[in-house]
Amino acid sequence: MTDAIVERPIVPTEHRPDRAAHEVGHKVAPLLLTEQSHFCPGCGEPIAARTILENLVELGVAGQSVAVLGIGCYTAMASSFDIDTVQALHGRAPSVATGVKRMKPDSIVFTLQGDGDMVNEGLQEVLHTAARGESVTAILLNNGVFGETGGHMTATSVLGQRTKNTIDGRDAEYHGYPIRIADLIAQLDGVAYVARGSVHSPGAIAKTKKMVHKALQMQVERKGFSFVEILTMCPTGWFIPTIEGPQYMDDTLGQVHTMGELEVRG
Amino acid sequence: MTRRLMEGSEAIVEAAIAAGCRFFTGYPMTPFTEVLEHFSKRLPEVGGVCINAESELEAIGMTWGAAATGARAATGSVGQGLSLMQESIAEMALARVPIVVFNMSRGQSDYFQATRGGGHGDYRTIVLAPMDVSEAVELTQLAFHLADRWRNPVLVYGDFLIAHTSEAIDVQPIDFGPLPDKDWGIDGSTSGTGRSRMITSIGIGKAHSPTSGIIGHFEGIAPHLAAMQAAEARVETGFVDDADHIVVAFGTAGKFVRYVVGKMRADGVRVGYVRPITLWPFPEDAVARASEGKRAVMVFENSAGQLIDDVKISVLGRAPVIPIGGISTDASGFGVGDMYDAEVIRGRIEAVLAGQEVTS
Amino acid sequence: MEREIGLTGIGGQGIQLAAQSLARGAAHEGRNVSLFGVYSGSMRGGRTDSSVVVADGPIDAPPLVSHLWSVIAMHDAFWLPTVEGRGVQAKLRTGSVVLRNSSTFDTDLDRDRFRVFDVAATEIALGLGNEMMGSMVMVGAFAGITGLLEVDSAIEGMRQSVPSHRKQHIERNEAAIRAGFDAVADRVLAAPAWSDDNEEVRA
Repeated sequence: MTDAIVERPIVPTEHRPDRAAHEVGHKVAPLLLTEQSHFCPGCGEPIAARTILENLVELGVAGQSVAVLGIGCYTAMASSFDIDTVQALHGRAPSVATGVKRMKPDSIVFTLQGDGDMVNEGLQEVLHTAARGESVTAILLNNGVFGETGGHMTATSVLGQRTKNTIDGRDAEYHGYPIRIADLIAQLDGVAYVARGSVHSPGAIAKTKKMVHKALQMQVERKGFSFVEILTMCPTGWFIPTIEGPQYMDDTLGQVHTMGELEVRG
Repeated sequence: MTRRLMEGSEAIVEAAIAAGCRFFTGYPMTPFTEVLEHFSKRLPEVGGVCINAESELEAIGMTWGAAATGARAATGSVGQGLSLMQESIAEMALARVPIVVFNMSRGQSDYFQATRGGGHGDYRTIVLAPMDVSEAVELTQLAFHLADRWRNPVLVYGDFLIAHTSEAIDVQPIDFGPLPDKDWGIDGSTSGTGRSRMITSIGIGKAHSPTSGIIGHFEGIAPHLAAMQAAEARVETGFVDDADHIVVAFGTAGKFVRYVVGKMRADGVRVGYVRPITLWPFPEDAVARASEGKRAVMVFENSAGQLIDDVKISVLGRAPVIPIGGISTDASGFGVGDMYDAEVIRGRIEAVLAGQEVTS
Repeated sequence: MEREIGLTGIGGQGIQLAAQSLARGAAHEGRNVSLFGVYSGSMRGGRTDSSVVVADGPIDAPPLVSHLWSVIAMHDAFWLPTVEGRGVQAKLRTGSVVLRNSSTFDTDLDRDRFRVFDVAATEIALGLGNEMMGSMVMVGAFAGITGLLEVDSAIEGMRQSVPSHRKQHIERNEAAIRAGFDAVADRVLAAPAWSDDNEEVRA
């Protein structure tokens, strides 16, 4: 670290901060082995992960939790999570989670997949796992882009979205339409909880954390498959300034993949 | 001893359960289907789980998860279905996840798939090829043992005849000796302790545990493969020492060949046989020794010629290597053709002895 | 000593149940057995063959046998070569024992070459009230003529082979097996399976 003054964006707020900035910076999420990460500035994925880690601790199930990670930027979290982890193949996390949960029914199993992983490569996996009512919690980190490859179209990219392989924007006639995966899953029997949240604002983060809480609670109570889609910012993959990430997300992905609870049973 | 008439599929399932298999999943396809049927009936009776997978892709993924907990887990299909599983089998070998995969093959044309693998990267699966139902009972149990011993996928190569032949047998657990503890098994119990565990095919480690890293992960593969190769080759030979000619065959084809060679020996013909029981590691030394000083080494296999590559690599020019098999199937394409006939096989061997061309 | 028994007929004649009854019956007597059935996709009317190998030691023979010591011939549809295979007769040797269901098997047999025993199995079954049980009659007749297994073992084998949803047929099957055994009372052990002097001339 250098002592040089770094110019940081000022996030406008009407609320007075409850503590000094350096204290905020030291509030580390639980269940982390290291604070270091290689995520880009403005990435929403670590915030989304934090909602999971905090809930595992608050629900008192951290000591029985198992993470199954797909392949994407978030796979690197496997190193930092102090959680028993199975790294799955691209698209295959729901099946792997199924195998873990069936053999260890007392564990609390969650998957982390991106939109490319879940909605492109492994769409059938999540649908079948949901329809079987597997008692696992699937978390989708949806940023509408293949972040790790450098910003390419996924099955959730919205119309008009510019990516490296939809350079003039996603065109329905040429590239087809985005899949609203949470809406699809909500139609299936065997599903206990489906919600779509976001991490683009403090309020959204608080709501999303409650969604993840409910989803994990469903698993604790063995009520069936639970699913939370979390919209996350990817300013790098969206080719926009970091500071514009939250607003861009709200204006684009957030308009198609609308937030809220879609299914609550039990 | 309570013997019971069981078809091969059922015997394999009983053997797997005797070996402690408690998880199975699969997708129906003849002649694998009955293996799935018997598992779906029997596993719940012993506290296990059998899932009717929606696809082979999902079957192999579920098996990955189950085996990652340390449970003995298996899946299977026909070669066609195994093609869909290859990505996961390759990566499970890299992630050192021990599973057993049954290929109830349609003939022997999946030899390359079994021994070379259809997946990516440097990996090998141990391949056990029983010749009949009784041997399938033994090798199924051995498969689970070897998978755990080496933390590596093990394939059992069966076929329609093994799946559908019934024999009166008594399945008893076989003790193959001690194994290391599965302290790597994932169950959530070390989460939050600072000692959490990870199973990965790409070599990423937990931040707290000094691992060899991605470079070390990949550099460790070759020594692992070499150790398996040195330790696990299995073979049966018969009448080899004073033979003028040798026939090499595996699985059901091997059952026919040893029967035919036995009959020919009874008639005074100096012919012997080598039956690889492991297709990988291939019993190269045994084949090389058996070929020493022989007039010819014949290869009888139900394919266009796959096993013959390994035989040639092993014989290394010590004797001519002559194919006497071929693709022989039935009207349904299940690999049970007219070539599987002791008289036909004897005729082909005798043709080679007489210096004639063999046409399949 | 190994004995290879073939069964041939068309789907619906009870070939597979008969084969299983023989195999389980022989296993019940402590013999080693191997059974392999071939049947086409349809449940009724298609080709259905089965071969059973019974031995007093470990079985060396592969499940698909080249030669049959004996055959239970319920129907002649697949006796001679067809597109589905070279036919059952090609697997017989000189001296092979053929139990011919004279009610439904029309083809002439070379009685100089094979030891042929005619049993009007379907007729006998009809007399018992169910023509479907012809194969059970043949199982009883086979036990009588060859002594490969005791008739009571064949009945035990049948009991173990009837699927749970057909348990109501067990009694009638038993009656049919006994009727077949009685029908060959004049030919008991006419072709004994386990006597050494029975080694037939090889083709």
